[in-house]
Amino acid sequence: MPILTLAAKDLRLLLRDARSAVILLVTPLVLILVLGMALGEGFGEKPDDRLRISVVNLDRGLSTKQPFPEKMWSEVVMDDLTATAGIRLELITDRAEAEKLVARNRRAAVIVFEPEFSERMNRCSFLSQATPPPINPFDRDGVRTAEVGLTLLKDQTQPVTASTIEQVAQVTLLRVLIPWMIGRAFERVGDDAFMESLAVKLKDAKPLPPAVLKELDPVVQKLLDALMRDPEFAAMMLKAVGFRDAGTIAGRSREFKEVVSQAFNNPKLMARVGRDIAFGEVMTPAVRAEVGPKVRDGVQEVLSNYDFKAKTWAGLNKDRARSANPDGVTEYRDTSGTGFLNRGAVRYQILVPSYTVMFAFFLVLSVGWLFVAERKHGTLARLRAAPLARGQILMGKLLPCLAVSLAQGFFLLAAGWALFGMTWGSRPDLLAAVVVCTSLAAVGLSVFVASIARTETQVAVYGTLLVLVLGGVSGSLMPRDLMPEKMKAASLATPHAWALDAYSQLLANPVPDAALIATACGVLAAFGAAFTALAWWRMDLE
Amino acid sequence: MPEQILEVTDVRKRFGDLAALGGVTLAVGAGELFGLLGPNGAGKTTLISILSGLTDADGGEVKLFGQPFNRAARDLRRLVGIGTQDLAIYPDLTPRENLRFFGKLYGLGGKSLESRVDAVLAEVGLTERANDRAGTFSGGMKRRLNLAAAVVHEPKLLFLDEPTTGVDPQSRNHIFRQVKALNAAGVTVIYTSHYMEEVQALCKRIAVLDGGKLLACDTLPNLLRTLDGRVRFTLAQPVAGFEERLAKVPGAKQVKALGGGIEVTTDSVPELLPVVMTLAGELGATVTAIDPREPTLERVFLHLTGRELRD
Repeated sequence: MPILTLAAKDLRLLLRDARSAVILLVTPLVLILVLGMALGEGFGEKPDDRLRISVVNLDRGLSTKQPFPEKMWSEVVMDDLTATAGIRLELITDRAEAEKLVARNRRAAVIVFEPEFSERMNRCSFLSQATPPPINPFDRDGVRTAEVGLTLLKDQTQPVTASTIEQVAQVTLLRVLIPWMIGRAFERVGDDAFMESLAVKLKDAKPLPPAVLKELDPVVQKLLDALMRDPEFAAMMLKAVGFRDAGTIAGRSREFKEVVSQAFNNPKLMARVGRDIAFGEVMTPAVRAEVGPKVRDGVQEVLSNYDFKAKTWAGLNKDRARSANPDGVTEYRDTSGTGFLNRGAVRYQILVPSYTVMFAFFLVLSVGWLFVAERKHGTLARLRAAPLARGQILMGKLLPCLAVSLAQGFFLLAAGWALFGMTWGSRPDLLAAVVVCTSLAAVGLSVFVASIARTETQVAVYGTLLVLVLGGVSGSLMPRDLMPEKMKAASLATPHAWALDAYSQLLANPVPDAALIATACGVLAAFGAAFTALAWWRMDLE
Repeated sequence: MPEQILEVTDVRKRFGDLAALGGVTLAVGAGELFGLLGPNGAGKTTLISILSGLTDADGGEVKLFGQPFNRAARDLRRLVGIGTQDLAIYPDLTPRENLRFFGKLYGLGGKSLESRVDAVLAEVGLTERANDRAGTFSGGMKRRLNLAAAVVHEPKLLFLDEPTTGVDPQSRNHIFRQVKALNAAGVTVIYTSHYMEEVQALCKRIAVLDGGKLLACDTLPNLLRTLDGRVRFTLAQPVAGFEERLAKVPGAKQVKALGGGIEVTTDSVPELLPVVMTLAGELGATVTAIDPREPTLERVFLHLTGRELRD
């Protein structure tokens, strides 16, 4: 079959072309190697504008369950952090790893919740005495983190970022501690101990000022009036003083009340009467029990903009609570890779497909040179003199180019796996489909360029320019995620971009979107068909 | 005239404003070794391109083996071989690979292909270098390989366009021998060259092409016959009546005195020479120098085109 004969010949020529081997196979590997070692570990990570707060949580929690908080205090603090816009939390499993990351300047600061963090947070209080002994966590700078069992590991070479993280931790601790401490303190306002303490304080407050006693006159009048009208009291009186005296007292009760009122309104008299009476004597246990809650309610009513019992910042401010954001928490992964080549680094999941795609299109040089050589050596004319159709000649060129492109694609992905420890994702079958469709597009473009360029120089100039421009526009030279959205959309005019999106799905997404990959494959094949059609139209075999 | 396997009737071809062929008509019979002679730019390569199916004519008709021939006639091309003016071999393939490739294109395969490749390699003297890359060969060796690639599929009609361009004498002789051998084996050969002596030495019938037009097409003797031969005699001393007697000699067409000698124009220099020498003896004239000039293809060409072949 002439097509296979032509294809076998061109395949043999391509395989003997050391220049193509260097361009298609060696150069991308060298670039991946160099960039893989040169780029930081952040390369290839999904761009995240949020401030990363790294945390080691060693908190043991509380030994006994209590109504608030229902979880460990460290979790409360982390919830507050993730509920804060612009912050993402990274969980590091152990202190040693955290210390290593800080020592190697890979983290500016790491928050460590010490094992006793919950227990110490629980003891934070405005009260001076409690069991266990309360902790005053504040000083002029905010929260004394050591007091609450929080350690901040800081990289001294990154003071600004470390300081930012420290301030975030401070604000978060204040948001957690202040409502907690206010709530606890407010619970004490008006309780028995509080009132007793108040009574004790008032016990020595003597004399009772005449003005106070004067203010008590209406109360006393009410008491006397009620007593005189009460039958039980009358019976008690009758039993105690007899009928005649009881009748006298009842008959003269009005005058008695007036005299009492006069006495209460007599400052001098009251000064003498109140000389040995203290405020605290009024605060009897029953009074305290009755008054205490009213006092607390009174305070709350006066300061009604706040809910002092809430114990949470949102509750204290009577604001809508912001729930923790589970998406804001990620487990720490070592993305730097291992060994001299940084094998397994996440960036290879980007670098290998990027350069596989870009260099797939460098096939334009090999194919262009193949066509130019065919013209230069006069063999193209010789082929036209042979019993071959134009389509057979073109197909005879396309097939070996496709074979080379496929071999290149699979070789680079295999080398990526073997040399750089990249993974092939969860769907190697779809990965193979993307390689095939990318090759179709690359071969189409290559044949199209070959149909235009007439000399080796034209092939080199057109081809290199085209490949580099398309590579840059499509995002082969940088992560596509870094591109502005408009540019990202515009880049879909290139086959590279579709291939990169498909690779990204397959290599970076644990559950790749098969529909998106199928679409990308379809578009790539369409690119290939369109380029080939243009080449067919443009190709001059004369 | 043997059976005609190539008939060209009023073939025309233009490249822009340039009329490369301005209505060429000729025919080539089976088994002929036909020469196409013309200077550079005469239209030889254009004509060969049309006749070998590389390009189509703008007008006129080409028949090959009695059938209309153009680029679409793929089956007829199997019967044709072409050794292009520019080399048409793959320098990165070995001669064996080149010949296998071209053989397969023409439908050969298997053992017959291998034996044919071996045979052709031997014919062009490249057996020992059969597995070296052709790009490392000398110009002559490449030309021989080019010829081998043209005949590997055993064509009935072979076009050789300037097959000895840039080759060493050894390779040229090799090519000559092979062309003669192919022709002897029954292959019709159309040989173009601007080397007069090659065409004169190889071809039985010759077409002269210039400016895209066919100026002459005939056997070599007939072409030569279109010009007279000339013989110049130089006598030791003038002899009275010698010129008059010469004018009456059979075969002498014109006699005129030139300086110290006499020039006689004749149809046949070989026939005239002994007659002249006899006459000189009879008249006691002493001939000190004889300069016979027979008609040559070069003179024919000069006569037809008004310029030297290599102008």
